Amino acid sequence: MGLTTVSEAFLFCIATVFGLAAIGTPIAYSMIAAAVVFLAAKGQDLGLASEQIVQGLYSSFILLAVPLFIVAANIMNAGTISERLLTFCVALVGRFRGGLAQVNVVASVIFSGMSGSAIADAAGIGKIIIEMMTREGRYSPSFAAAITAASATIGPIIPPSIPMVLYALVSDTSIGFLFLAGLVPGLMMASALMIMNVIIATRRNFPIEERVSIRQMPGITFKAFPALLMPAILLYGIYGGVTTPTEAAAVAALYALVLAAVFYRALTWRSLYNIFLNSAKSSATIGLIIGAALIFNYIVATERIPDAVAAWLQSMELSRIGFMLALMVLLLLLGCLLDAATILLVIVPLFLPAARELDIDLVHFGVVIVVNTMIGLITPPYGLLLFVINATTGIPLKGIIRDVLPFLFILIVALLIMVLVPDTVLWLPRQFGYVG
Amino acid sequence: MKQVLSLLHRRAEDIAVALLAAMFSAFVLQIVSRYVIREPLGWTLEACLLTWLWLIFWSAAFLVRDKEHVRFEILYVGAGPRLRRVFGLISAVALVAAFGISFPATYDFISFMKIEKSSTLGIRLDYVFGIYLLFAAVIVLRYSWRAIKALRGAALEGDGANDSE
Repeated sequence: MGLTTVSEAFLFCIATVFGLAAIGTPIAYSMIAAAVVFLAAKGQDLGLASEQIVQGLYSSFILLAVPLFIVAANIMNAGTISERLLTFCVALVGRFRGGLAQVNVVASVIFSGMSGSAIADAAGIGKIIIEMMTREGRYSPSFAAAITAASATIGPIIPPSIPMVLYALVSDTSIGFLFLAGLVPGLMMASALMIMNVIIATRRNFPIEERVSIRQMPGITFKAFPALLMPAILLYGIYGGVTTPTEAAAVAALYALVLAAVFYRALTWRSLYNIFLNSAKSSATIGLIIGAALIFNYIVATERIPDAVAAWLQSMELSRIGFMLALMVLLLLLGCLLDAATILLVIVPLFLPAARELDIDLVHFGVVIVVNTMIGLITPPYGLLLFVINATTGIPLKGIIRDVLPFLFILIVALLIMVLVPDTVLWLPRQFGYVG
Repeated sequence: MKQVLSLLHRRAEDIAVALLAAMFSAFVLQIVSRYVIREPLGWTLEACLLTWLWLIFWSAAFLVRDKEHVRFEILYVGAGPRLRRVFGLISAVALVAAFGISFPATYDFISFMKIEKSSTLGIRLDYVFGIYLLFAAVIVLRYSWRAIKALRGAALEGDGANDSE
């Protein structure tokens, strides 16, 4: 790697960001501080940091989807919408062996069509379903937590998706096509998890839920119907060309609000205030990371680091598949250290020129990267989702990790198929006119 | 003192909620005007971007606690109380230095923006971007306070004790 071309200032910058982040400084602030160090060492205008951050955030319309999706997800979690969806899922797949484990996956698929965030899925609907599964000791808490963590990774693959918005931002790919491209992979992941569920349920003789009679189905479906309509509205809005993805995010949030407040009457002013407050805080933390990544990426770009990475990879004469596989391993490892937003905003741009060089389709690349990053969230020992579930339920980490391994394995198999067979990702967007 | 702080904290929360509500409403208004009334309003988009920018830096300055940020916690959590204080002190001093040194240049950039106005609402951009200056100033103050606390040997916020920062 052309390390000789890297300036001393950049080495200071890297040392600062790693040094500060390692001792627990917020990552966003570590990046901003590192940027200031770089500018000072280069003798450049120190105001450049604030300029990049502020101008970048102020001019990026697509980013508005982020707070809106957060609001939508929080409303869903606070109202009774999640419970209604779960009742519907139990009626649908509860009758099979290990039924609640399957419910977990199906609920994630439906819910993911709304929330756009794996953490929201795990903390919201995931918490409720873990309670259902562990009631009367039918499933071990660690298994319930493991399948919840595993199925939450589907959330950001099936549109809408905050991580895809972030990838679209750094790669200049169409967010609409990215969303479409995630649909089939998301369903592949769900099928993979359900197959693994069947295997484990048979072996460990998991319970079956009481069969819901056909006569009850219309009632249950009717109660969940408005919530089930949400993914349909979103998808129609985006792919019918009616709204932009950002507008669809606002429609989703508004629909969830009307549903929870007017239709289901499950929302008080007080709870709405708290939802907005929590959403404001979450939006601020992710907004800061985005802002900090903007100045950091500016520096990385002026140092021509991505080009150096591309040249270095070229000198290794990696094939397309070889490059993707190596990157997969790297991202799984990085998932232990960094959160998804930081990986997508800071690490992935380093490899984009190399991907272009190798003629890899950037929509395919993006979906694979996002799936990869999400799997990184459940990779032991330091998967963020494992920690979130551990924190919200108090189920010991050790057991969760043991039980998550089979799901991790099957998800990686699904990811490999996506890497090796690009059509699994690109077929659907092509039907909608994507050329690539 | 504590009561005053908690009152201020609640007012800061009110403002964050108001900003988010305003952003959300402006967006809904934009959609309604565009797809229902079919006479798009020009100013709503700008209002969204403005409130989003303010929301981030207002909340980051006054509401988001250290432990609520995205952090790499393994070493910090694994460290004993003494080492934590050292870690906390180093990061606080580094942030005070970084935001402090760049403050004058940040001020120059933002006050220079007074020559521009936002395109539809006509708000001077130094007002729009001014929130970052406020944020930078608050970060310097907050982390100075944190550094002093660490030096005095008090438990730091994020350790579960004394969260009244």
